[in-house]
Amino acid sequence: MPVRVAEISAPSQVSGTISRHTSPPACTLLSVGQAFSGTQNVSSIQKEEAWRVNVRIQGCDLEHGYLCGTMEALNVPMADTPIVVTFWEGEIVDTKNYTFFTGKWDASPEDDKRHWTKFPSFLPLLSQVEIDGGKSLDLSNCPYIFMRWKEQYFVNVGTDCGLTIAGFYYVCFSCSDGSINGFYYDPNSSPFQKLELKSTNEGRSGFSFSSYELQ
Amino acid sequence: MPSATVNNHRPRELLSLLASADPEIKVRALREVKNQIIGNRTKKLSFLKIGAVPAVSGILADSVDNVIDSNCNNDNINNILVQSAAALGSFACGFDAGVHAVVDAGAFPNLFRLLGSSNEKVVDAGARALRMIYQSKLAPKYDFLQQKNMEFLISLLNSNNENVNGLGASIITHSCETSLEQKALFDAGILRKLNGLLEGGSLSQRDASLESLATIFKNNPEIISKFSGPEIGRPLSSVIDLAKDRYPRTRLLACMCLIVIRNTSPLFLQDIGIKTKLIHILLELLDDSGQVGDEAPFAFSSLIAQKEDLQELALEANAIDKLLHHLQKGSLHPRRYEGILLALADMCSKMESCRSKFLSLQVLNLVTDALTDDSADVRTAACICLKSVTRSIKNLSAGYFMDEVIVIPLVRLFLDPSTSVQVAALGAVSNIVVDFTTRKSIFVQCGGMKQLVQLAKSMESAVRSNALWALKNFVFLSDNRLKESVFSELTACLLASLICDPEPSVQEQALALVRNLIDGCINSIEFAFAEDGLILAAIGRQLQSASKAEIGIQGMYALCNVASGNEFHKEAVMHQLFPLMDDKNQSFMMKFLQSNDSQLRAATVWAILNLTCPLSPGASGRLEKLRNAGIFSQMKNMVNDPCVDVKLRVRTVLGQSMAFGNN
Repeated sequence: MPVRVAEISAPSQVSGTISRHTSPPACTLLSVGQAFSGTQNVSSIQKEEAWRVNVRIQGCDLEHGYLCGTMEALNVPMADTPIVVTFWEGEIVDTKNYTFFTGKWDASPEDDKRHWTKFPSFLPLLSQVEIDGGKSLDLSNCPYIFMRWKEQYFVNVGTDCGLTIAGFYYVCFSCSDGSINGFYYDPNSSPFQKLELKSTNEGRSGFSFSSYELQ
Repeated sequence: MPSATVNNHRPRELLSLLASADPEIKVRALREVKNQIIGNRTKKLSFLKIGAVPAVSGILADSVDNVIDSNCNNDNINNILVQSAAALGSFACGFDAGVHAVVDAGAFPNLFRLLGSSNEKVVDAGARALRMIYQSKLAPKYDFLQQKNMEFLISLLNSNNENVNGLGASIITHSCETSLEQKALFDAGILRKLNGLLEGGSLSQRDASLESLATIFKNNPEIISKFSGPEIGRPLSSVIDLAKDRYPRTRLLACMCLIVIRNTSPLFLQDIGIKTKLIHILLELLDDSGQVGDEAPFAFSSLIAQKEDLQELALEANAIDKLLHHLQKGSLHPRRYEGILLALADMCSKMESCRSKFLSLQVLNLVTDALTDDSADVRTAACICLKSVTRSIKNLSAGYFMDEVIVIPLVRLFLDPSTSVQVAALGAVSNIVVDFTTRKSIFVQCGGMKQLVQLAKSMESAVRSNALWALKNFVFLSDNRLKESVFSELTACLLASLICDPEPSVQEQALALVRNLIDGCINSIEFAFAEDGLILAAIGRQLQSASKAEIGIQGMYALCNVASGNEFHKEAVMHQLFPLMDDKNQSFMMKFLQSNDSQLRAATVWAILNLTCPLSPGASGRLEKLRNAGIFSQMKNMVNDPCVDVKLRVRTVLGQSMAFGNN
């Protein structure tokens, strides 16, 4: 287990931490402009409901473990309008900025574990996470990226549209095929609403990438 | 002798009086010249134009031989020497053209000779004049590496005369640049002398010493560690104490010295206490209404630039509020205005919390107002500040900045006479046009898009590449209608020529722009084929001779995007990759796959992935061609590529190729 040592060379380091490159790898499929499409469903004893969801990544700042984008939900049951768009911000679990423990949004470490363990790809990491939230994990070769996505506001409708954005998603992204799985957590909503998305090619025969660069 | 009309002579009259043989008339004329020009730039200029400086310099030269005459008690001679030195000093003071004239007239060495006089007033006048000259960058460089020069410098620092040892310090501050010079000064024991002035000297000596020390320390960690070692007492703590001195200028200079130390040697001054103190002292110095207050924001910037930990501490110390409070005062001296804007830019450069704080105060107008200031430096600083603030992706997503109040004055700056203003405005606009709402049309309506295309034809390569950068960001995820209007304004011909621009940075941005144009709906790929495939051909040509990885990356992604189209598109890409019938020629693809740059490897593998996508009818033919070119053997070597992204794509391609029953 590496010991934290103060880095003494580069003045631009955030003081007190060493750059150990243990953050998850950068992945072209999880970059700005990339689009994903699939469904969110909620299943309870009475019924199962599902609706189409489209996600687009708008911002990505790996250094700060930050991601953001829009989520478009189509024909959500109980919604007033056929299309509801929200803006969300994501925390990338990179052991540097964020760990597997949420520490907010009414999610306890038990809630965290309960949700992360629903992803098969998380299971090898579980034992370390139980010890220290995964702070000393080396995720640099892990072909999955774990995140939390929190919707911040409605883009095209008012807050009285009949939907809630009080909770957040536990998300697992697969670097190899760009598929996304997630579970919505909100103490006041049906538990384990599932999000399943795939990287879309928007009608193309292959993958296409565009990008912007902030100055 | 005092006279009621002592300052009433016109410059030409004074000039002829200066030529008088009568030493008393000469002295009076010299004194009057000095009195007229002190603090008066216009007067300095008019005297300069009629050749006053060579005239005064000539007077000095005529009399200076008497300096080493030990019987020099001649009052007249001494007065002439004092007044001519004072006049020359005044010409040089804060006036570069004056410095130029004084040096050109050959007065410089003569002023140094005055330092050998036994008359204290003469020595003072010479030293003061030289100090004023050395405040300017135009002063001749002092060569420390020559032994006799170093000895002379040491003699200056050893002098009891405050002006003389101050001159020694000024020379160091002005001329010490390289680490070789820093070492020479250290080896000659200069640091010890300066430290002596620091601890036991007068106010002016302490200030001069602080400035010189900072110059010797700059970028030289070795010297800093020697200075801070036990042999020289505890000088670092002397500097820290001076940061709390009662004189503002001393506090500023001490802070600047500590900042140089900290930036050069991060081992030192890491303690949160000292960091917080520096922040507070500098923020408080903003209250000074003079030159110290003008310079304080620049020192603050050098403390926090690129350092998130310091920006965070400064945020907690309400730095943003304080800087904005000063900005609100209005009628700021241009230097102070520029400094505060740049300090705000540094505060908001890296952290969203700082940008949020800034935006929450709802005073963006204070920055946009500065976009029309008379000073080019202020306009540039305002653009740089906007560039920092508009890094807020959250607010870009919400379309917060795509507002006429911000966009229109920025677009006007595209025509600014100063290139640095143009480039800075382009920087801010590059961020603002990354807009995910439907408000991008505002930018087109105010003529911004057309202006960007015009600037893409500029003679200045920095303007061309930044204009393309802004266009690239503008078309990112834009609808086809917007892309069509950009493309028709730009034309395929211009875009193709920009891809092959002599400047690599322009090539890179042009390729990135194409990449973005052809992403999105599948029809967008047709942009690459306009005018008989001008652009596609340009991409292929440029990739053959890509001078840096970034060009390869953008070009390969452009090809990758084309290759995500139909059969025709994929074949067209193959033609660019293998232009000659002879497949044995090594394609640039092989070079890219073997590159050290993981992004370049990734982009290339993505293109291959698209070309060999199994659902396409011609995929097996393309696969065969790639295999014959050795591409697949190369990729087999990459199944354990150190970059996870590359490794996964390679495995996908190889997995895909199995579908064709080949290995």
